[in-house]
Amino acid sequence: MKAETVTAQIPPDTRKRNKKPASGGRFWKTFKNQKYLYMMSIPFVIWAFVFSYLPLWGWTMAFQKYKPARSFFEQEWVGFEHFKTLFSDTQFLLALRNTLAMSSMGLVAGFIFPITFAILLNEVRLGIFKRFAQTVSYLPHFVSWVVAAGIVTKMLSSENGLVNDILLGIGFIDAPVQFMAQGHLFWGIVTLSDVWKETGWNAIIYLAAISGIGPELYEAARVDGASRLRQVWHITLPGIRPTIIVLLIMSIGNLLNIGFEKQFLLQNNLVTDYAQVLDLYSLKYGLGMARYSYGTAINIFNSVISVVLLFTINGLFKRTTKESLL
Amino acid sequence: MASNRQIKAKASAITLTSVMMLGLLAGCGGNNGNTAGNTGGNAANSGNAANTAADTSPLNMTFFSSDPNPNWTGMQDEVGKVLTEKTGVTLEAEFAVGDPGQKVALIAASGEYPDLISAKTDISKLVDAGAMLDLTDLIEKHAPNIKKVLGEEGLKRSRYSDDDHAIYAIPTYAGVDNKYFDAGGGFELQHRAVKEAGYPEIKTVQDFENVIKAYLEKHPTDENGNKNIGLTLNADDWYMYITVTNPAFITTGSPDDGEYAIDIDTQEVTYHFRRPAEKEYFRWLNHMNDIGLLDPESFVQKYDQYKAKIATGRVIGLIDQDWGYGDGERALKAEGKLDQGYGHYPVTLSEEYKEASFWPTGFMGGNGIGISVDAEDPVRAIKFLDYLASDEGQVLINWGIEGKHYNVVDGKRVIPEDVNDRKYNDTTNFQKETGLGNVGSNYALLSAHYGDGVLDPTGSYYTTRFPEQVTAGYNAVEKETLAAYKANTWKDLFPKEEEFKVKPWGAAWNITIPGDSEIVVLDNKLKDITWKRIPEAILSKPADFDKVWDAYLAELDKAGVEKAEDLREELVKQRVKLWNE
Repeated sequence: MKAETVTAQIPPDTRKRNKKPASGGRFWKTFKNQKYLYMMSIPFVIWAFVFSYLPLWGWTMAFQKYKPARSFFEQEWVGFEHFKTLFSDTQFLLALRNTLAMSSMGLVAGFIFPITFAILLNEVRLGIFKRFAQTVSYLPHFVSWVVAAGIVTKMLSSENGLVNDILLGIGFIDAPVQFMAQGHLFWGIVTLSDVWKETGWNAIIYLAAISGIGPELYEAARVDGASRLRQVWHITLPGIRPTIIVLLIMSIGNLLNIGFEKQFLLQNNLVTDYAQVLDLYSLKYGLGMARYSYGTAINIFNSVISVVLLFTINGLFKRTTKESLL
Repeated sequence: MASNRQIKAKASAITLTSVMMLGLLAGCGGNNGNTAGNTGGNAANSGNAANTAADTSPLNMTFFSSDPNPNWTGMQDEVGKVLTEKTGVTLEAEFAVGDPGQKVALIAASGEYPDLISAKTDISKLVDAGAMLDLTDLIEKHAPNIKKVLGEEGLKRSRYSDDDHAIYAIPTYAGVDNKYFDAGGGFELQHRAVKEAGYPEIKTVQDFENVIKAYLEKHPTDENGNKNIGLTLNADDWYMYITVTNPAFITTGSPDDGEYAIDIDTQEVTYHFRRPAEKEYFRWLNHMNDIGLLDPESFVQKYDQYKAKIATGRVIGLIDQDWGYGDGERALKAEGKLDQGYGHYPVTLSEEYKEASFWPTGFMGGNGIGISVDAEDPVRAIKFLDYLASDEGQVLINWGIEGKHYNVVDGKRVIPEDVNDRKYNDTTNFQKETGLGNVGSNYALLSAHYGDGVLDPTGSYYTTRFPEQVTAGYNAVEKETLAAYKANTWKDLFPKEEEFKVKPWGAAWNITIPGDSEIVVLDNKLKDITWKRIPEAILSKPADFDKVWDAYLAELDKAGVEKAEDLREELVKQRVKLWNE
């Protein structure tokens, strides 16, 4: 986002000059000019190096048969053996499928709902109601997943569960449905609980973006006779487009890192085929069995896929919409 | 110039942003590559043990246990304070939450070990990392009480493995010469249900089913119109073993050897689900589900929901251990609904089997407490454990403080009525206050100890579980039910230890598995399959049961069940050699 705002400020003529190859002398000149800027950035570069790049050294474990007590030079090197085991394990492929399915569903729902909600909220004229609705909607965000999972299981329970009671009451079903026992419903349940929990919270950023749109645009549109719907379509949505794209790119980069809290807490033995996700798999089959190397291999796979996804999607957006993250 | 600066500013802004973005991504991937460098055993500290006389200067030790201890108060309870007073030691305890294996693996990889570690069979991960001290010499020099309690046989059984005879852990889970006086397992039925059925003999799953069925026919709902539940199971995480899978072998005459059944004579190992008898057990559960006696939520509910359900008093039958459903039953007792409490019955699949709950294992070395190489003062540590193993220490942690929690009458320890009442009926609060409990005190599993039924030199029992005490713990309704079955304790109903041949390997579930063994992964794969397929089989239509079961067995084969059996057999044979040479 930062890059985006900076680009916008640069006058068109300097853009051309930017393309000229900078000679070494000029680099030092600008470096000198901007030494304070560089100095200011140093702590963050160090921070990023220490916390993000130094641990990458641990990736070597994926190519070893790692044992805690030995020093680096005493470890036994095994090449790509762990990766071979990984890709031939059906459980892993299942986990990969579930992860991608749930995160894609979450991605779609996680954009449509908050954006719609933010726009609707923005159109509300009554200030008190608006603030009230906003507060109520983001409260679930602060409920931990442990509690949220308890609520969801209770609501969907076949014994005195609210959902079943309502469905029975309106005569939609004849006998209570075991929602939590059916694998094919699991992804939907996870996605919907996530929507309930995060919609309000995620809408905040869009509300902020919407409030940044100049009122004169709306005034002009109104003068031209645009309806409320037209205003939303032609002003609000294009106005928050950069925000949407940046957030979209970032979440696509995180497709594989969806965590495992909700899946872990909502699952039971009947639905494991649909509930096992990569993070849970790496915890159980990696660390849980003291297979440090195997766990690392899974995480390397994760990171590589994430980086590839990020750059692909970023490139795609750069080409098609001229807006991008990097 | 100004614009030029802007370009560069943009460039560095982009660089910064991308560095941070990459950082975010990379942060997720990097595992901690820290290796534990300190492998060398630094037991050499023993030199500063010049101050041999009881050193009670304050000493804080960290302690990790694989088992949760929900009533732990950081030694701030009455017994804990006395312990600190006598030894100077305070324990900073950490208990595993969820899967202890993960926590132990983290501890092993971090290279920072707590001073005292009780990690059950996961200890192999720490031994592989060189984290544990060999306690053989420390026990020899500084721990006369531990030596006395364990005896030669106990010490022999404490050795780590056939290849490594070091003692890394003092057995704390098994009481020496322990005798069982009461049964906490088997199948459970509410007292009101058996009473109404006229106290019939309950020996087989059919008898069990009949009682539930008859009761539900008469009382389909409770007084508030909520449905009564025939039988509910707890399949949340590892409780799956306790209420779903273990009963399959117990009811078909095979003792608890974890996920394996081992032939007592040939030591041939079978993955226990592959025994034909167990298929019939699960077929029975399938039938229970079919006729609506099995709670449809059995495999969906979480542990707290299970306990809450029991606390409503609507559940007629259980297949669990007393510590599993105890919280729920205690709530019922506290409300005075004594007839909705549970009795234990030795149920088998059919008359031909003998209920195997009390198949003797001999003294079980293996799981226990060890001292890590990071312990600053291993001698003080072993002395602390030795104090706990002394007569004085054992009485303190089991009985409490004289004059407060027990009195000596005619030379024997007696627990006053009011203390006993609180101990059994207000267990949690009582345990938090005093550190004493009715199933085990907060400190019971910290060191070597005598089991139930062993007399100390004064002629009193070391523990508070002995026949008179067990009967004293029963409430009126329990006594009524027992009297109807002409028994003093629940255990009287079960087949006795003497009817079985002692297993020379103890129990397979407490054999430590070498860290790099293939068994770990194989076992987990098999477990994942089993935990998925067993519920599926139970909930399937009776007509489909055979099909589901065959598919399950085929899947086990594919996952390498035979290899797992062979590897396990090897370990069992090594254990037999180690313990009986």
